[in-house]
Amino acid sequence: MSSSAAPAHGHDLEESKFQLFVQVAMLLAVITGLEIVTVYLPFAAWILVAALVIASAVKFMFVIFVFMHLKWDKPFCTILFFIGLILGGGTMFALLKIFSMQASLPLQ
Amino acid sequence: MSSTAAAGTIDHHHDPSTSTGIPNKKLLMWLFLASDCMFFGCLISTHLIYRLHPPPGTPSAKSVFSIELTSFSTFILLMSSLMMALAVNAIQKGNLKSLRVSLLTTIFFGCIFLGCQVFEFNNFVFEKHLTITNSILGTTFFTLTGTHGTHVAVGVLWLILMYVRSFQPQDLDKRRGWFLVNLVHVLALVVAILLGMNLVLGTTRALEATGLSAATLAHFASGAILRILGLLVALAVLIRLGRPAGPVAFNEGNAMDVEMMGLYWHFVDIVWIVIFTAVYLLEYI
Repeated sequence: MSSSAAPAHGHDLEESKFQLFVQVAMLLAVITGLEIVTVYLPFAAWILVAALVIASAVKFMFVIFVFMHLKWDKPFCTILFFIGLILGGGTMFALLKIFSMQASLPLQ
Repeated sequence: MSSTAAAGTIDHHHDPSTSTGIPNKKLLMWLFLASDCMFFGCLISTHLIYRLHPPPGTPSAKSVFSIELTSFSTFILLMSSLMMALAVNAIQKGNLKSLRVSLLTTIFFGCIFLGCQVFEFNNFVFEKHLTITNSILGTTFFTLTGTHGTHVAVGVLWLILMYVRSFQPQDLDKRRGWFLVNLVHVLALVVAILLGMNLVLGTTRALEATGLSAATLAHFASGAILRILGLLVALAVLIRLGRPAGPVAFNEGNAMDVEMMGLYWHFVDIVWIVIFTAVYLLEYI
């Protein structure tokens, strides 16, 4: 690549980033709108819960990979964050499971 | 602006001077955010456990929550994330004017979110009689959302400091006394935000109580004349101090500082994405 092509490529990348940010924000707003509509739909509870969990996971991923630049950063940043995320998520899962056992119900 | 010439020459994602290739500040921030994931994970799971096994006498969350208000504040926080991403993009290109506009918009959206939360808490305590001590729902709900709100407030303060920092003069002679100007600038912003929020919340409460009429607004304005004057003075100071006054010591080289702040702000947004679903939406199913 010639030396003059590099800044032009950088400029294009910055321009496309700007457009990408706006597009992702619009997408997130639409998903949020769909989430609100979802809770009023006459479907089985497990379908609605699954839909909401998937929608919020999609929003979560868009924010961390696009807005937080993980897409362009070194993979180690992603690994580092996901260690915390998996530990946090694992703790949540474990606590919910433990407290769903009959002998471990919270004190009334 | 000196930074414009250098725009596009700094690699913002890699740092060859560190053994990981990642700037140390960024590495530290990601570590902090990873630890904060565990912190919020515990708060959210505590709330969910007590929602799944509510003790007798727990009020129905559906009758307490307002989905309209929460949806609005969620939308506002998402848009603030967009403005924060644009602020980082702007400073990486050395565009100081765009950075300041984006930062001010992010501060504005952050304040709207906090205002909604203050309104919601006020409504829960005084209208729905849900306090942090009178039920387990109140305890877990206020602890979780209050902790998140504190994170947002810290983020707003950080944004204010970064905005004011972007005015630091490059000329060393002009820097004498800059600390005092800096302090006045920060105070003016904080005063404008607090008075603005106070006036908007006061007007909303007055309108809620007596309905929309010129007499209501006139009565409210006469009772809040000092606050309105204070807000106008703070805004005048902000406009005066916000005018460009020569070259500044804030350019593309400071992009990493803005990016760190951006990471924190987006994290607050992703935590709210989870809270919105787990705490609010699931109650309506």
